[in-house]
Amino acid sequence: MSADANGVPVLEIRDLTVRYGDVEAVDAVGLNVGAGEVVALLGPSGSGKSTLLHAVAGFRPPSRGEIWLQGRRVASPEKSEPPERRDVAVVFQSYALWPHLSALDTVAYPIRRRGGRRRAAREQAAELLGRLGIGDLADRRPVELSGGEQQRVGLARALARGASLYLFDEPTAHLDTHVRGVFLDELVSRREATGAGGLYATHDAEEALGLADRVALLNSGRLVQLGTPEQVYAEPVDLWAALLTGPASLVRAPVSASADDLCTLAVGGRSVVVGTTVAVPVAERAELLVRPGWARLGGDLPGRLRSTRFRGEHTDLLVETEVGEVLIRQPGPPRHAAGQRVSWTLSRVWPLAVSASGDSSGTR
Amino acid sequence: MAARSTSLGFRAGLIVVSAAVALLVVVPVSRLGYVVWTESAGGLGQVWSRPGLARAVVNTVVLAAGVTVVAVPLGALAALALRRSDVPGRAWWRVAMVLPVLVPQFVLGYSWTQAYARAGFTDTVLGVPWPAVQGPWGVWAVLVVNTVPLAYVFAAVGLAVRAEPDLERAARASGATGLTALRSVTLPLLRPSIAAASVLSFVLTLESFAIPQVMGTPSGFTTVTTLIYRDLSLGSDPASFVEALALALLLVLLTIIVVIPADLVLGPRLRVSRVAVTEGAPVEQRGGRAGGWIAAALSSYLFLGVVLPVLALVAAALTPAVGVSPRPDHWTLDNFRLVLTARTFDALGRSAGLALVAATALTVLGVAVAVLERRRSGRILGTLVTLTLVLPGSTLAVALLITYGRWIGGTLTLILLAYLAKLWAFAHRPISGALDRLPLGELQSARASGAGPLTAARTVALRPLAPALLGAWLICVVTALHEVTMSSLLYGPGSDTFAVIVLNSQELGRIGPTAALSVLLTLFLVVPALPVWLLIRRLRTSTGATGPAAPRGVADVR
Amino acid sequence: MLRVMSAFRGRVARRRRALYGVVVALLLVVSGCGNGSSSAGDAITLYTCVNDETVQPVIAQFESDHPDADVKLFRAPTGDLNARIAGDQRAGGLKADVVWACDPLTMQGYVDQGLVGGWVPAGAASIPERFRTADYVGVAVLYMVAIYHDGVQPPASWSDLTEATYGPVAVPDPNVAASALGALGYFDQTSEFGLDFYRKLKDQGATQLSTPDEVVSAVAQGTSPAGVTIANSAYASKDAGSPIGIVWPEPGAVAIYGPIALAQDSADSSLAKDFISYVASEPGQQVVAKGGSYPTLSGVAGPEIPADAPIVFPDWSALAAEKDSLLGRYQQIFGG
Repeated sequence: MSADANGVPVLEIRDLTVRYGDVEAVDAVGLNVGAGEVVALLGPSGSGKSTLLHAVAGFRPPSRGEIWLQGRRVASPEKSEPPERRDVAVVFQSYALWPHLSALDTVAYPIRRRGGRRRAAREQAAELLGRLGIGDLADRRPVELSGGEQQRVGLARALARGASLYLFDEPTAHLDTHVRGVFLDELVSRREATGAGGLYATHDAEEALGLADRVALLNSGRLVQLGTPEQVYAEPVDLWAALLTGPASLVRAPVSASADDLCTLAVGGRSVVVGTTVAVPVAERAELLVRPGWARLGGDLPGRLRSTRFRGEHTDLLVETEVGEVLIRQPGPPRHAAGQRVSWTLSRVWPLAVSASGDSSGTR
Repeated sequence: MAARSTSLGFRAGLIVVSAAVALLVVVPVSRLGYVVWTESAGGLGQVWSRPGLARAVVNTVVLAAGVTVVAVPLGALAALALRRSDVPGRAWWRVAMVLPVLVPQFVLGYSWTQAYARAGFTDTVLGVPWPAVQGPWGVWAVLVVNTVPLAYVFAAVGLAVRAEPDLERAARASGATGLTALRSVTLPLLRPSIAAASVLSFVLTLESFAIPQVMGTPSGFTTVTTLIYRDLSLGSDPASFVEALALALLLVLLTIIVVIPADLVLGPRLRVSRVAVTEGAPVEQRGGRAGGWIAAALSSYLFLGVVLPVLALVAAALTPAVGVSPRPDHWTLDNFRLVLTARTFDALGRSAGLALVAATALTVLGVAVAVLERRRSGRILGTLVTLTLVLPGSTLAVALLITYGRWIGGTLTLILLAYLAKLWAFAHRPISGALDRLPLGELQSARASGAGPLTAARTVALRPLAPALLGAWLICVVTALHEVTMSSLLYGPGSDTFAVIVLNSQELGRIGPTAALSVLLTLFLVVPALPVWLLIRRLRTSTGATGPAAPRGVADVR
Repeated sequence: MLRVMSAFRGRVARRRRALYGVVVALLLVVSGCGNGSSSAGDAITLYTCVNDETVQPVIAQFESDHPDADVKLFRAPTGDLNARIAGDQRAGGLKADVVWACDPLTMQGYVDQGLVGGWVPAGAASIPERFRTADYVGVAVLYMVAIYHDGVQPPASWSDLTEATYGPVAVPDPNVAASALGALGYFDQTSEFGLDFYRKLKDQGATQLSTPDEVVSAVAQGTSPAGVTIANSAYASKDAGSPIGIVWPEPGAVAIYGPIALAQDSADSSLAKDFISYVASEPGQQVVAKGGSYPTLSGVAGPEIPADAPIVFPDWSALAAEKDSLLGRYQQIFGG
């Protein structure tokens, strides 16, 4: 359950299945979004993120299960309320700005639909555009706006809806820092009484981990893992989830001893004690996940540098070791050439195919 | 380099197509004007002040407006309704909506009187006649049925191209009800397509002759085209002939008044290069009965508008003589035997060949104009080719005969030229619509990958455009095969087409053979049309691109 | 760079040439089809509005009598025939050697424009004088008769049709069908009828259809209890089983003859003259009769005609003079 102490989540999805013909685009998914919380839906294309969002927004009725918004059931296989009667706002993939309306009229649109007068709606819209730093573009049509500007108009329109739940359908570009700030402020400030929630679909791990309070991993319509960004990054349920959430190496080594947060591996001839967050079973040959930051150059393990890639802030090094290739991320520019012998140290591992400490409801 | 060769190609294309426009449109129409000018000898005033002309002009314009105002919204409604996923069998409905196009106009008009007039099908079977079918209302109704598919196709293409589902979802998610979203988002987006459909439907109604003649004249309802027919029938004296030509030019004038502003205002707006990913309806419905109602409405429309009249026609073809009740024990194939002679097959073959050549050339010409009109210097071409569409077949034929008859009179070439002149706009407008989706980015990337302009067009653009091109081609084949007036006036020894046979049988005055011939012609069209349809559908699903008819997904190009 | 460019252009140009080649070839093939049957020998072109069933056997018989001869046919309804001839005139002259029209008014129009006339065959003398002039000779006749749906009281005279019992009588449009115009002329010229005849018909609810054939259909279907139409169409329909009856009403069925004439430009064509002579001759008239049309030559048996059927004849020259005003007056009755 989310940390929202009031108990009633902004969004509650219960056992939701959405079928297209015979295909289950969303398959028995349960998920909550608390007030003031942003949950990212992370998955490759075709994993059902958009379908899930469409079901929540009311574009598509569920085949099974229920959707509750603020303690009110809005969708079940028998009855699905239309989008306009749900308290949700949507930011679309390519922003879906109406080509025939100016930025100002676009943002005023939801306010008018709430019954706002034209003038008041425009004033409010102008104020929103100003807050997003595009007040001077109010009269432009979408064709005359850059991609970033379109994104801000799209967000402004969603904010103008004043909803308690914001849905992001894979915006093609990352929200830039300013826009993100405005949005996150809105989530807490606009609906002070209850706080608003956000559900953000993306296939970009970096964005999901950086933005969300919790991340839900989707694969073929199924919810694979749900947890804080730290959890899904450090404790993926399987290799697929691991690779989805960021770069990782897989090493294979015997585990000779194990405690709560430590275990002993044999790397080549040496015994190495490394940290972990779960009890690792003793095994002849365990598959262990190593994130780039969990190993570093220096130390007593032998290896050979296969390749280096300079990435500005840091450098990625691919090191051939006795337990397999290990990706290491070092701060600063590369100091070794490919082919050179290097030594390395392993500080932490995550055993795959061992259940994570966080359960599907997650802890914060 | 690329820019230079493109503009070279453009200039060459512009010259070639302009020459074709001059040859097929400008010269013949000017020639008509010249004949009227020199031979009316001050009698033009008499033409305009002729009793009944004002009435006919008003009838024509009101009819065109009345048909447009009803058919276009109906077509658009059908297109909107068929986006709903809860309409049972909607893939088939999409095909069915376009089917009435396959029934020749004169057959449709004729079969309606067979079905609904006094002593018609409904009268003899149910005792419910609709006497007004022979009169302005009948003319209007049949023309509406005949025009709805056109409007449907335009609206459906417009929906696929412009109304991305996300745009409507955005409205719904902003708090708009379905109706408000339709009013404030979908319809404004469709406006250019609807306007284009309106222009074409208006012009086609101005030009329509067979239906007003068959159904309108009995009650004294005249249009400009029936007046022209009358003038030609009495026209062994030069005055009536010139009068007929003057009336035809009046139609051209009416078209200019309507089409030029529409093209100048809408043309550029039609060419918004938005590309859509359509995945059916923006908001899926379930549970309600709306889908069933829509299917019921569509099926009653198709049943009353097309199926019943065609059934009446088949019954007439099977009965030995007029006035014999169409009971099964009276059925005979005599009428079919009568019209199925060696000469019919010869003419049918000739017509089919002519239609195929014409349609192929028209598709090329349609693409040429669609490409060229995107530049300022080529913009007027699209409008010009519409002018010959409005000329009634008889007068266009006369215009071409006067202009080129000296050299190629009586040959199939002259008939071919007439088809090209008449149907150019028919090929051009759907292709032009599809070109909105021409993936400019893809073309550029093909050029950047080393393809010349033609290779780039062939390898990148042809494939996504294929359904549209096939659709245009099919429309042209169908219309050319239906064509009766021009070829029956232009044919010569050894170039008699199917139309000549049809007219001959009609003139014999026996409904049976005419009905049999109409049934055969319709079958002749439907049988080859179906495989092509399936091919278009295949292409569409495999490319994800949309054809002019019954659009679905659109190539995802950004 | 330059070389690349010119090579590229060369490729484009080659392809374009190939495209033109295809187009030109297509056009040649198509026009070749059209001209395929032209032969150097004796050939004449016939323009007519007479239906295929009548004209085809005539041509066939003539060609078998003259093995070298080739009669090319253009057959179209009168309106299209007019348009074709008017078009020909403005594109280098009439392309026909012989014109066989369906009514004298149309033919007189061609004569007045100097297109046809100036010669009639010697054999024309045996054809009744009312069916010929110095410029053309009638070779077929249409008879305007009355028809009624089975079970309806047969009208004995034209005037009977104006009685209330008949109501919505179907009449053909004289603006479209020359035969209807001939009948209109006859009634107008005959004092016992006048245009009042049409006014009475209209007052009883008469409907005007386009052609005589449509009148037959309307009466056969029962839409109209009776109608005015041409005899061969009526008999053909009745023979096929339509429930109609045919009367040659008093004072008589209106005769409209279809004349044939020689084109002025073909005054020297002996084959054209032979053809006209043949159609006007007894053997030719027999073929015309067999084809379902009434012949003009007396003594040749044509399609069904009652023994002493009364027949009347409009005054064509008077009709030609007042055609426009007559149609104008008619229009006032039948609207449109």
